Amino acid sequence: MKLRELEISAKTVDEATKVALAQLGVSREEVEIEVIKKGKSGMLGMGAEDAKIKVTLLDDERQPGQLDDAAEMARKVLSDILKAMGIAADIDVTPSPDDNTPVTLNIEGDDLGVLIGRRGQALASLQYLVRLIVAEKSKKWISINVDVDWYKKRHYDTLKKLAERLAEQVAHRKRTITMEPMQPDERRIVHITLANHPDVMTQSTGEGDGRRVVIQMRNR
Amino acid sequence: MMKELVEYISKSIVSAPNDVKVTEETDSGGVVIKLEVNAEDKGRVIGKQGRVAEAMRTLLRVVATKEGTRVRLEIV
Repeated sequence: MKLRELEISAKTVDEATKVALAQLGVSREEVEIEVIKKGKSGMLGMGAEDAKIKVTLLDDERQPGQLDDAAEMARKVLSDILKAMGIAADIDVTPSPDDNTPVTLNIEGDDLGVLIGRRGQALASLQYLVRLIVAEKSKKWISINVDVDWYKKRHYDTLKKLAERLAEQVAHRKRTITMEPMQPDERRIVHITLANHPDVMTQSTGEGDGRRVVIQMRNR
Repeated sequence: MMKELVEYISKSIVSAPNDVKVTEETDSGGVVIKLEVNAEDKGRVIGKQGRVAEAMRTLLRVVATKEGTRVRLEIV
């Protein structure tokens, strides 16, 4: 989390301003400065008082702007890929339903099951290539979320409910449960969902496509 | 279709897009896509542990399924 507000004391207002800008790593135009105490130089070191200022970062419009640029770039890349695949669909750019990714590109259209594929494999490949191409163009890795008719969102919601239900069983019967093999993003949902559960904890075991989440009693 | 897809993805991720050559042939086993890139870019189109090539193959299979055929991607 970036610092947005800062109070600084120094001999003079100018000096305090310099220190504050250096600490925030921004220029004078990007902050608002409020003088709390002007400071006095005093006489022979007597009665001197430091100046105190409050510095507030102005709304940083660059970052959402950058995100919009990235989202627009990603939308164009996805649209080009779909065109090259001969798939007609609309792409909706929206804020993601969860906090894990900043932007979701949701593909909408008829008969898009092929774009999801077995266990979501086609969709995972599509998302990976979109991220890769956007990263190549923008020189930054942005975790764009690609979905097809909110397939992933619905799937994740189901997974969360399943995880909670299994956790209750583990807690109730004091018995370890091993889930079916899942993809990394799916395992992540289970781990996150149960991270703060009072009675159970989760971990993954197995290799590659056989990796599974184990839900067990929390060690005391 | 399949040729354009491989061309678009490859050209977007290599450092020498002008050296990207993609050909599409059909044999008894279905469609064969041959992708040729600058030697320096070979690692990029294959990716770590073959991840990029694998993702391209997955999308190619989607197109092939729609067209009722099979497809192979060869990186030469």
